[in-house]
Amino acid sequence: MNEFVEAPAAPKETTRQEESLKHRLIGTSVPRTEDERLLRGDGRFTDDVQFAHQLEMAVGRCPFPHARILSIDVSRALELEGVKHVLTGEQVREQSAPLTVLRPVPGAPQLPYYALAQDKATYEGQPVVSVVAVSRALAEDAIELIEIEYEPLPHVSDAIAALEEGAPLLHPQSLASNLLASNGDRAGEPEARIEAADVVLRSRMRIGRVTPLPMETRGVVAVWRPGARELSIHTSTQVPHLVRKQLAESLRIGEECIRVSASDVGGGFGMKLGVYPEDVLASLHAMALRRPVKWIEDRMEHFRASTHGRESIHDYCLAADAEGRFVAMTNTYTTDIGGWNSPFGSSQLSSVIFTGPYRVADAAVERRVAMTNKTPVGAYRGYGQPEVNFALEVLVDRLARKLGKDPLALRELNMLRPEDLPWTVPSGAVYDSGDYLRTLRMAAEAVDYAAHRASPRVPRPDGRILGIGLSSFVERTGYASARFLANRGSKFGAHESVTLRANRSGTIDLYTGVSSIGQSSETAFAQICAEVLGVDFDAVRVHSGDTASSPLNTGAFASRTLIAAAGALREAALPFRDKTLRLGAWALGIAPEEAVIEGYEVRHRDDADKRVPLSDVFSRAILGQGIPHDETPGLETTAHFEPPSAAFSFGTAAAVVAVDPETGEFSVERFVMVHDCGVAVNPMIVEGQVRGALVQGLGAALGEELRYDAVTGQLLSGSMLDYAVPRAADVPPIELLHTEVPSPVTTFGVRGVGEVGTIPPGAAIANALCDALADYGVEFSALPITPESVWRALQAARESTQGAAA
Amino acid sequence: MTLNENEITLTLNGESVRAWAPSRMHAADFLRQRLGRTGTHVGCEQGVCGMCTVMVDGQAVKSCLMLAAQLDGAEVRTVESLAEENGDLNALQQAFKRHHGLQCGFCTPGFLMLATSLAARGEPMSREQIRDEISGVLCRCTGYEGIVRAVEEYLQLQQNEGQVVEVEA
Repeated sequence: MNEFVEAPAAPKETTRQEESLKHRLIGTSVPRTEDERLLRGDGRFTDDVQFAHQLEMAVGRCPFPHARILSIDVSRALELEGVKHVLTGEQVREQSAPLTVLRPVPGAPQLPYYALAQDKATYEGQPVVSVVAVSRALAEDAIELIEIEYEPLPHVSDAIAALEEGAPLLHPQSLASNLLASNGDRAGEPEARIEAADVVLRSRMRIGRVTPLPMETRGVVAVWRPGARELSIHTSTQVPHLVRKQLAESLRIGEECIRVSASDVGGGFGMKLGVYPEDVLASLHAMALRRPVKWIEDRMEHFRASTHGRESIHDYCLAADAEGRFVAMTNTYTTDIGGWNSPFGSSQLSSVIFTGPYRVADAAVERRVAMTNKTPVGAYRGYGQPEVNFALEVLVDRLARKLGKDPLALRELNMLRPEDLPWTVPSGAVYDSGDYLRTLRMAAEAVDYAAHRASPRVPRPDGRILGIGLSSFVERTGYASARFLANRGSKFGAHESVTLRANRSGTIDLYTGVSSIGQSSETAFAQICAEVLGVDFDAVRVHSGDTASSPLNTGAFASRTLIAAAGALREAALPFRDKTLRLGAWALGIAPEEAVIEGYEVRHRDDADKRVPLSDVFSRAILGQGIPHDETPGLETTAHFEPPSAAFSFGTAAAVVAVDPETGEFSVERFVMVHDCGVAVNPMIVEGQVRGALVQGLGAALGEELRYDAVTGQLLSGSMLDYAVPRAADVPPIELLHTEVPSPVTTFGVRGVGEVGTIPPGAAIANALCDALADYGVEFSALPITPESVWRALQAARESTQGAAA
Repeated sequence: MTLNENEITLTLNGESVRAWAPSRMHAADFLRQRLGRTGTHVGCEQGVCGMCTVMVDGQAVKSCLMLAAQLDGAEVRTVESLAEENGDLNALQQAFKRHHGLQCGFCTPGFLMLATSLAARGEPMSREQIRDEISGVLCRCTGYEGIVRAVEEYLQLQQNEGQVVEVEA
């Protein structure tokens, strides 16, 4: 029997406080269950899945940023022994529908993004042909034998240039320009306030294009059993249930025919959110051949075929009165979405938190989504939030310098106080609760900010000057609600779900559609479930990421899993617990109120001799024998839970840099992060998430960049050798401090934690460099910041000083 | 079909193994596809990311940069060999678990094999040296802190055990 539990209203404050007093597992650094298999080499990543008679797929990709496909001749490839099947754009058009979008930009048309290019390709790396053969190597040989005649077309690789009159058009049949769509939010009268303000700062800030770069590339294994009408898909994804939906749409078959499973996923970071062309291609090949087809993305493909992140240009305006009080803020930002709209499109979140942790009632934001001849951009950890944090926090320091104020004091003056919350921002989102100022003061204290400010900026014996930079942030974690998402046209919900099922061994099977991507959800889910049930942590076995066994859910992204799943776990566990107690009490001949669950037993509250093992209680339920007459057999509960609102994490980072004013060389000597993610279910995992994301943020701030050649439009940093991802020796000393303000809008008071580290590094480092080089008057308006960009900033400052003197 | 396949004999995790591999197959694919040891992962196939790190004749090597044929006559150790005979995690694996040295776990076998080869050197190492030494394997999840702590603890443990043995001798 299934006991479907309706999602309840937000739990009452008193309930949560009562629960937090007696937490046994929540708040404990339980070692991870995932580790046992991963440490032994027993993980099951997509390429570890192997079927008898399996074939392999390789994909031929357009080598030009923009090209018309004049002809394709596959005859020589088909003659190669061992080649089984070839697909071209024409067949794909007959056999499938274009890829759908999960998070469309409001007002954007659906573009005809087929799994293989039709008459033309709009980015280097877009799939043009695919081949299946007995081995990957042979399939690649066959790709070499396919003759494709291209007519290179004029291309555009800069988002601003793409929107100018006369730019080469990417999709003239769907769009009259390269503007995919634009939309905005506003509150108050920012323009009038700016007009009347004492100080107005405007700046264009550029955020570089980066790649999420999980260590496991994408991959898919497709198995089709025609008689059963069953397409079984193993894939490396953060969202199995959404892949199922999108595959059904593209393959034009019912969802009931598709099973998607993701066992171990070697990192995602937002990049593995939805269907890619190769998922459709592997499925089409498998359906044509009736044999299992595997495709594993190689790293060279990954740099071109998996979605990129971040690239955007922010035109910010910050207006203040003479004291430095912010009176208005606007941001018109252009995101570069590349050659096609990816499943998760461009960053809406830049619109939600563009006012940061500050009290600004009059503010407006506008998003413009530009198409360029580059790989599509999709979600990447933080997804719009590191971008606006860099722009705004750099501008705050610039305002402080202009007004002769201390950057810390300026932030203190403008920061929202606990009593100001809940605070509604122009997008309609509501900051729930928090003590932002406390994190700012803690960060300043940790780096001895006051003493540093009081001392002059003179070089140390090694010639380097020390600087300190701050960056404060508010981060949206999770989604407000399905209604909020519906307003933005999203094709997914805001809820999570779990199923708990008793088994005869006396343990509990927990089924979730959340795949295991390194976020440690298996451990955290078991902690919460065991906490509510009263059983041992080891008594809960989590089964992740299989659409055939898990209830329909949303997925692992947007720091949202635990925000929603904590509620689902609690709502599924409570009726499960109650029935276990009723059946256990019946077996013991006592009243349910006298029974408790402990370890692997139900026992009398006060009489330790009256006890029955869970294996006995669960067996009774499963058999329907030895249970009260008014009870139904079975012990299984499912709950779906949607949090009533998003929970906003917050904090402040402080960077200490030492910079050589002659060469621009610099190093980050300390990085302090003060962070609040509400109640930490597992502090060890929280620390791991924050550190890991910080290093990604530091990488993007200090060197990672996907550069395209301005003339040829080719990707220049498209391999592991050319793309500078941080190594162990590159990581500066990081110190973490936490505060813990429980969120009033989530179960157990949790806030999201997976992405936060990516947000503050860029601005904190830029501000620290400006502080160190205060006497030189440098400014930074772009990420990444390298010794070269510091040197250029120094040259620019010198030239402008000399210009002023002359 | 066979495309210039070579016969390769090697010792894998203490066991003598004989198998065939195409001339152009690299050692990582050979271990995974022909010998079924999928604990060794493939991340870039150009010797940068280190996911495929295994031990060949006592040295940590990136097996994507070796041909399968080069393993003929070699002694190879992969992650599958690390756990104790009774099934327990060995001291290095336990240290990784204790210090949260892994998240998605894809890079973990590479780090474990690299750390095993570092311990075999029997030299003490500072944190900075460890950071330098492990820079040939990339991790995108952890920020490396847990990995460095785990390797440091394991190397110290090995050092201490080594000293005890010396005293006894």
